[in-house]
Amino acid sequence: MYRSSPVPDDSSAGRDTNWVLHRPSAAATMAPCLKIARGWLMPEPSPQQPPTDTSDLILAVAGQDRAAFAELFKRFAPRIKTMLMRGGLDAARAEEIAQEALLTIWRKAGKFDPAGASASAWIYTIARNLRIDAARRDQRRSRLLEAVGREPLDTEISAIDSVSSAETGSRVRNAMRTLSLEQFQVVTLSFLEGKAHPDIAESLGLPLGTVKSRLRLAMTHLRKSLEDLA
Amino acid sequence: MTQTHHPLDDTLIAFASGTLDEARHFVIAAHLHSCAKCRQTVAMLHEVGGALLESANPAELSVGALDRALAKIEPQVKDNQQRSAGVSDTATSLDETLLQDLLSAPGKGPWNWVAPGVHVRSLLRPAGKGARVFLLKAAPGLGLPNHTHTGTELTLVLQGAFSHAAGRFSPGDLDDADETDEHTPLVEPGQSCICLVAMDGQLKLRGLLGLVMQPFVRI
Repeated sequence: MYRSSPVPDDSSAGRDTNWVLHRPSAAATMAPCLKIARGWLMPEPSPQQPPTDTSDLILAVAGQDRAAFAELFKRFAPRIKTMLMRGGLDAARAEEIAQEALLTIWRKAGKFDPAGASASAWIYTIARNLRIDAARRDQRRSRLLEAVGREPLDTEISAIDSVSSAETGSRVRNAMRTLSLEQFQVVTLSFLEGKAHPDIAESLGLPLGTVKSRLRLAMTHLRKSLEDLA
Repeated sequence: MTQTHHPLDDTLIAFASGTLDEARHFVIAAHLHSCAKCRQTVAMLHEVGGALLESANPAELSVGALDRALAKIEPQVKDNQQRSAGVSDTATSLDETLLQDLLSAPGKGPWNWVAPGVHVRSLLRPAGKGARVFLLKAAPGLGLPNHTHTGTELTLVLQGAFSHAAGRFSPGDLDDADETDEHTPLVEPGQSCICLVAMDGQLKLRGLLGLVMQPFVRI
């Protein structure tokens, strides 16, 4: 793996998801979150030496480099699968969409602007759009309006141009460390598991207002550290 | 255009993480079109998503997953080039094309009369549960019934302006009202006020226009 993370490879991610789904107590939902938090809170192995920067890989993929695609696939397909499974998809569906995400990366690599969003943020939005699409497809099966093959609505988000994307990534990770565990938890549930705020409230057994105020507090912290990005 | 009223932070988080329903997602996307400040915030939140994705534990893929992807990538590129010509006009629902239309010509109908001085153009009415999206056109100087928000309404001004206790809302401003807010909106004289609204149609409608909206529900 490209990152010599202190978190061991965990092939039981699928079982974790089920566990959370079937036992939606606060403790159960907190567990995978703690696992991630450990990755965040522990000092990073230094110096970190990823073999190739992710954004360089995407640029190579834009030039039809299949080896670079294979490397991107190895880095991100398993993580996108995790993200989708944590959002409640079964393993087969999650893998199907992770495949789709990587194929989308192949097709859209030419649009990636290394001066803009960081590579991982760009990939995140692709995976997120596919997740939205999948959810809507399910929802729409019974509906008359079936828009075939259209792009998900996504305003082009402008570049964060003051800082390089590699620097952005590490600054964001540092900023995330300033969050309390409670704030980190609701942010993770929202971004990684794709849970709507009322669902987060339900799975944590908290009032919706509490979830919202934790998210707003998290934003206050993130803004403070990343002021020039927001 | 500089806005003074923006989505609440938790709404932007839900937008950036893709967890807003389609109706609200559409209205927030419309706000972002004119609001550089919120676009920057969303960009920052995408970075948060990217960092979390990178830190996720990798799941095990099925045997041959990479080979299957590699087998697909070349045909897909060709496919993409062929399709790119006519892909944009398949739109039949809430999408970028509709959004551009609404932003450039908000007054274009068709409008349905729902009450004196009030017209509505429905854009999305989910069959089951879920928020609906519509345009609402209120006549200049119209005072709207006092109402409280159920916490399930987003209102983006596209044309004209209205005011209530929280301030003045002009084009690009978004009213992301909290359930605790109580408002008596007043449309400014001079021009009709056209708003893009996402709101839950399930419960008793007490959102923007409360009483006035009841006939709309029966349409």
